[in-house]
Amino acid sequence: MLKKILVANRGEIACRVFATAKKMGIATVAVYSDADRDALHVQMADEAVHIGPAASAESYLVIDKIIQACLDTGADAVHPGYGFLSENSQFRDALDVAGIAFIGPGKKAIESMGDKITSKLIAQEAGVNCIPGYTDVVRDADHAVEISAGIGYPVMLKASAGGGGKGMRVAMNEAECRDGFERATNEARSSFGDTRIFIEKYIQEPRHIEIQVMADSHGNVIYLGERECSIQRRHQKVIEEAPSPFLDEATRRKMGEQSCALARAVDYQSAGTVEFIADADMNFYFLEMNTRLQVEHPVTELVTGQDLVELMIRVAAGEKLPLVQDDVTLTGWAMESRVYAEDPFRNFMPSTGRLVRYAEPQGEGVRVDSGVYEGGEVSMFYDPMIAKLITYGDDRGQAVERMVNALDNYYIRGVNHNISFLNALMVHPRFIEGRLTTNFIADEFPDGFNADLVVRMILLLR
Amino acid sequence: MHEILAELEAKRDRARLGGGQKRIDAQHAKGKLTARERIDLLLDNDSFEEWDMFVEHRCTDFDMDQQHVPGDGVIIGYGTINGRLVFVFSQDFTVFGGSLSEAHAEKICKLMDQAMKVGAPIIGLNDSGGARIQEGVASLGGYADVFQRNVMASGVIPQISMVMGPCAGGAVYSPAITDFIFMVQDSSYMFVTGPDVVKTVTHETVTAEELGGALTHSSKSGVADLAFANDVEALTKLRHFFNYLPANNREKPPVWPTEDPADRIEMSLDTIIPNDPNKPYDMKEVILKVADEGEFFETQVSYAKNIITGFIRIEGSSVGVVANQPMVLAGCLDIDASKKAARFIRFCDAFNIPVLTFVDVPGFMPGTSQEYGGIIKHGAKLLYAYAECTVPKVTVITRKAYGGAYDVMASKHLRGDANLAWPTAEIAVMGPKGAVEIIFRKDIGDDEKIAARTEEYRKKFANPFIAGKRGYIDDVIMPHSTRKRVARSLAMLKNKNIENPWRKHGNIPL
Repeated sequence: MLKKILVANRGEIACRVFATAKKMGIATVAVYSDADRDALHVQMADEAVHIGPAASAESYLVIDKIIQACLDTGADAVHPGYGFLSENSQFRDALDVAGIAFIGPGKKAIESMGDKITSKLIAQEAGVNCIPGYTDVVRDADHAVEISAGIGYPVMLKASAGGGGKGMRVAMNEAECRDGFERATNEARSSFGDTRIFIEKYIQEPRHIEIQVMADSHGNVIYLGERECSIQRRHQKVIEEAPSPFLDEATRRKMGEQSCALARAVDYQSAGTVEFIADADMNFYFLEMNTRLQVEHPVTELVTGQDLVELMIRVAAGEKLPLVQDDVTLTGWAMESRVYAEDPFRNFMPSTGRLVRYAEPQGEGVRVDSGVYEGGEVSMFYDPMIAKLITYGDDRGQAVERMVNALDNYYIRGVNHNISFLNALMVHPRFIEGRLTTNFIADEFPDGFNADLVVRMILLLR
Repeated sequence: MHEILAELEAKRDRARLGGGQKRIDAQHAKGKLTARERIDLLLDNDSFEEWDMFVEHRCTDFDMDQQHVPGDGVIIGYGTINGRLVFVFSQDFTVFGGSLSEAHAEKICKLMDQAMKVGAPIIGLNDSGGARIQEGVASLGGYADVFQRNVMASGVIPQISMVMGPCAGGAVYSPAITDFIFMVQDSSYMFVTGPDVVKTVTHETVTAEELGGALTHSSKSGVADLAFANDVEALTKLRHFFNYLPANNREKPPVWPTEDPADRIEMSLDTIIPNDPNKPYDMKEVILKVADEGEFFETQVSYAKNIITGFIRIEGSSVGVVANQPMVLAGCLDIDASKKAARFIRFCDAFNIPVLTFVDVPGFMPGTSQEYGGIIKHGAKLLYAYAECTVPKVTVITRKAYGGAYDVMASKHLRGDANLAWPTAEIAVMGPKGAVEIIFRKDIGDDEKIAARTEEYRKKFANPFIAGKRGYIDDVIMPHSTRKRVARSLAMLKNKNIENPWRKHGNIPL
């Protein structure tokens, strides 16, 4: 078993990994930048190493500093969390060279799944349903128009190196296709330094459903059910739930088995997520595979009763998975809201500052994964997520009810937060009915969000 | 018998109408309540005991004997606010424009005399066009009678003015002498000479609102303590404010029961001081986290924002708070802040309200504007107020306390009873940079040496322990324990009893 884990990350996910490591009796090391000197993850770990100025590019993203921190503290493994260096194969290589275990998949998986075009090709080979599209790189705007005409509008232009909603554009016609190509290319250049664009059919009324897979180094691959993450704002997930209110058992099995096939095709190890898009007829199409632990993993943990971080650690230590596919059962329902430091009333403008008051909700079926505390700072250098609020219930209704109460009881002062928006989503009749698509927020809040809507909603429900 | 009773009712109805329904409607149309409506809102239900409802003026000039309105434009009486006795006068703008006549002034004087006899606060609801011209000098005399009583009552019973309409000319001097002046936005104004005369004499064009409206006085001149949005908010907040004050100078402030534990720990205070000594933080957060139930009634919110004054409760008892605000002018003291705090401290001292001071002050504001403005004298006011003060004084230094400002802000040397400091406190003659540039003058130009010396100075002097070694502070405390330590200090000081040497009165540098 691993002796000492360094988490190459910060905030809530660092705290999350430390919690499981502590539970398993493994020593922990945190890394921190100037801005995170007093952060919760630093206080939680047994040791902490200062790795540079506040800017991520000078601290959390600097491979050498992370490696050095491992060497200085004698850490024998690194958990990369999500974002930052979690899907960076150079980082993985450097760890290999230094003889430090990487709690995550192998290089082949990271590289192949990290490239959208390559991953689609591999998926097709592995027998995974894929969206009709053009998987080679698009040469220029004219070429883009030519391809789109072949696929048929509407189409989605996507950056091959993209992720997290960046470098994506929908085009309904030729003009939008030209314009979208330029914009996606520019965004790809500035965000990822890689301008390759590919095009696929844009699925209308799509639902974003993803499968959690877990694999060990002994060839065992299982899937742990699905998560539906259709509630997104500008392609950023806002609410996730497990299971999906839409899927039937047969489709779940098909998606799960195809995900495992994909994982096997790249000799996958550790936790990973295969993202699909489903249409109203329950056809599903492969989107991409994330070769890391995802933000929304807690909902899967609650309905399967598994600690995914623990499984990742065991796999990294060379153990066999302690369960087989038949052992995986989905019980009850879990719902997650991402609580962000932003102002929903002013177009979700990010907010920074001191958490003058911060008190998390508690109670049965309520779990809060956070990296902050009262008196802590939400700084401008990093993602403004305050916490993940997760609720669990015997059924969807109970999970939603507990979420509404928990949101009400969440006491945050000093920064703006999106709780009123999350609440508005939770009490929305269409959400309660489970009629979700990735256009939900755009459809139901076309003019943005204001308190008026919340009041109207409450009156509607009376 | 029955007819006589009916006649009384009729007379009462007549009096209640004041200047008549039309004028009442006009008052409402301006967004103002009538004098009686205001009393109704201010006092507890059914608690108002009115006097002199039937008083009329005695003027015969200018056909005034043809016009009599019972009450003569002011309603006086007593009642309760949250069960505690208070005397109120409410000027009635519907009667002769609320103007002050001999009779009108006599009513107010009667009220003030009675309040002094029993030792209860007076609240004046001002809404008056000024002197009743027809009465001539008698009106001026009336004002002066009121002013004299304001002065006699000063420091004996709390006096509060709520200006809810015009208050101009000589009339302003009564509120000016009272302890607190509150105003209502858009409907009230105060000035000694109005826009018309100003235009004629100094040729400045200015509106009544600009010259003396609520916002002008609450932020520019500092004459008003607070400005409220409308009559209703004003009176509601006034009820709230009243709960902090004792009835008179022989009583302790009222105790408001609370379940907020006196030893409540606030871990978040441990991270409020930024690592960078030049970065500000909001001192109000400290005050709110120390106060019972996080309640703080701040006075003069918009004036001299570099110092914070107001009332909180600790273990249910009122406490006056004075605190430097690092977010404004880095918390430096200047003329306005000195005056604001000095008056507040003297009010607390007069009325047995302990003073809790939070210190983070880098010094006095430099500059010709301050020097020519007399910062020497005005700064001295603050020092005088603290030194003269015999109520319990508890002081907490959170960060900087440099130079003369350290002395001024309720230091041990000015008879501070409990002087506590956070570990982040820097008690020094001046900041490290300034000190080094003087002491090591010869090293200026050698940046590395200066930086080293500065760091050395910071380590050696910019901390609370030098002061601690001499007992200038009583203890260095954990920020998270501030409420607990303050509460204990105040509890210990409950029966503090000291006196100043007898004098007719001191000579505070006015």
